[in-house]
Amino acid sequence: MKKTLLLGLVFLFLFSVQVFSGGEKESEGATEMIVYHWWTAGGEKEAIDALFQAFLEDNPDLTIVENPVSGGGGGVMRGQIKTMVMAGNSPDTFQLTYGTGMLNSFAEILEPIDEYFADFPVPPMVKEMGRVNGHQVSVPLNIMRNNCLWYNKKLVDELGINPNFKDFNECLAAFEKVKQAGYIPFVIGAGAGQQFWLAQITEQMILGAPHGGPDYITKLYDGEADPAKDAAIREMFVFLKALIEKGYINTDYSALTWDQAGDVLMRDEGVFYSMGDWAKGHFTSAGWKPKVDFDYVTNPGTEGFFTLHFDGFSLCKGAPHPEIARKWLTFLTTAEAETAFCPIKGATPPRLDAPTDMYDAISLDILADFRDPQTEIVQSVFAQPPEEYLGVLGSMLSGFMENPDVEKGIADYASAYDSIYK
Amino acid sequence: MILNRRNKLYIFLFLIPACLLVGIFVYTFLAWSINVSFKDWNTIGKMGNFCGWENYRTLFNEDPVFVRAIKQTLLLAVLFIVLTIPLGVITAILLDLGVKGKRFFRTIYLIPLSFSFVASSIMWSWMYMPNQGVINSVLRAVGLGFLAQPWLTSTKQALFSIVLVYVWQFSGFATLIYYSGIASVPETLLDAAEIDGVTRTQKYRFVILPLQKPATLTVLLLMLMYSLRVFDFVWLLTGGGPAYSSEVLANYMYRVTFNYNRFGLGAAISTFMFFLSVIIIILPVLISSIRKLRGKV
Repeated sequence: MKKTLLLGLVFLFLFSVQVFSGGEKESEGATEMIVYHWWTAGGEKEAIDALFQAFLEDNPDLTIVENPVSGGGGGVMRGQIKTMVMAGNSPDTFQLTYGTGMLNSFAEILEPIDEYFADFPVPPMVKEMGRVNGHQVSVPLNIMRNNCLWYNKKLVDELGINPNFKDFNECLAAFEKVKQAGYIPFVIGAGAGQQFWLAQITEQMILGAPHGGPDYITKLYDGEADPAKDAAIREMFVFLKALIEKGYINTDYSALTWDQAGDVLMRDEGVFYSMGDWAKGHFTSAGWKPKVDFDYVTNPGTEGFFTLHFDGFSLCKGAPHPEIARKWLTFLTTAEAETAFCPIKGATPPRLDAPTDMYDAISLDILADFRDPQTEIVQSVFAQPPEEYLGVLGSMLSGFMENPDVEKGIADYASAYDSIYK
Repeated sequence: MILNRRNKLYIFLFLIPACLLVGIFVYTFLAWSINVSFKDWNTIGKMGNFCGWENYRTLFNEDPVFVRAIKQTLLLAVLFIVLTIPLGVITAILLDLGVKGKRFFRTIYLIPLSFSFVASSIMWSWMYMPNQGVINSVLRAVGLGFLAQPWLTSTKQALFSIVLVYVWQFSGFATLIYYSGIASVPETLLDAAEIDGVTRTQKYRFVILPLQKPATLTVLLLMLMYSLRVFDFVWLLTGGGPAYSSEVLANYMYRVTFNYNRFGLGAAISTFMFFLSVIIIILPVLISSIRKLRGKV
């Protein structure tokens, strides 16, 4: 009895030491890399698998411990990373939206990786977006253009509409024509807790408003705007109110997810749909052909502008295998990595010298705009403002969608804005 | 049984692991969380400085969403309990009455309890869809189209729609507890009541239901504990929206902490939730226990 008790206590002690010893320490000759990302859906999962495969072909002695965490456009994974890092259990590398606001939110836990950027051929603005406290902290992997107005090509041709709307008035006139023909003019999907899409969609309206534009968007996201007085915010609300009150928006907008909203176009029920270029991946994975079944133009008033963010990977402070993570990040800066990943995901590569012959016609359009020196690059709502911006403004805008009172909308916008930047 | 010193030592030794685990994973982190609630910690990986009651002052004086979340959490808890307990009692009585296919119905009522919250929320979000959802479709089909609503997506009824899902998921649990409670009523009492010539209704009203106080306390406590920290269906069905109309404390705490990176403020919300639960749940139980003890003495 005594012996059993003693053995039990010894086992308990050893178990406790193992559990509370503080986790894995870096060992010499380590061969694995712990990576977190949020790509789990069709298309993107195949893309990250292809990227891992290309990396392992160059580094056959390594293994990847992959941790895909789906949900909330990366929000669930970001929450998990924060708790892991606070618990002293950092991964080696993880996916993060590439843009100043998001990277700033994680600044204290990201290692500088300036050495990879000396010869990285991307526009200066792109390098600037990945810099925090004077250091590069992330490698951008794929471009995501935000100011895209997608349309059902068959219906647009049938209705004889020119989708290149120069301003809001042209857009409203076309939407009236669509409504009269019995279709939904403008499809939105901001349901299932995804109100943040309203912040993304209204961003394009603010950008395209007569008093909007890239400078105003930058000022807004820097916390230097005064939404209570700024004309661009009022113009956005007036336009959005018109869309709501004239019945141009699908009535179930707040019940659909972004991709379900895209499906409304594919069922030939809706005609226009404002969403980033990741919508192309959704359309093509469902069998729609670019330039045949669907196409895009820039949102009204945003021609010549390119609102964007990137998916990027960073090196985490306290990473158990930092040298392997650095190999991974070096690999991500190559055209080989971008070429392995982007065409499968339906995205476009940030390197200005990346080969383009494997991309479809719409991706080539996007690339042509991105590489055009005349194009004004603007950080999107996912990139420049602090992480909370999407949630706070999304909630506020969901209230406006139900009660489209412009004066109240402006006051609520200003109040939500102040709660973030004060 | 008289315990000698050696036996007492064994008992003490065997209790150590459980005490250690609870001490570390409950009370240490509770203390740590309270400590964080007094810090202006707004950056991942960099603990903030001591800021006194500032986070609590911000929550109560400058954060209308927090105040709204308190009200909505309490409203959800009250509605959840007020609807679930009577439903549980009625269903348990119906099962006890010996309806045909009793086993089948008992299983049917308990099935929702076995569903994962994620599966249930997906199912209900489809049912609640404004255009294609089964609820609105049925209403339209039977000529009650004017009752069709955007159930989850209107500020007017989003919270109430979520309450219905909770009631659906948990009414089986209440039924189970009450059914067990009714089954455990001593036969002698029922026989005595019958000899006294009570009707069936009187039997339930004056004999069986008064004996269900322990069952009611169990259901009430468990549901209160659950509803004050409710998160899952709110997060999955509406995310607290639209326009914060279904925001509850746990949902807001998660958002403030992990989406807004305001760790100090988030810890202050969780500390408030803890003390709210203590006041609402634990204090009445403690008072009741003290009264019982005094009564015995």
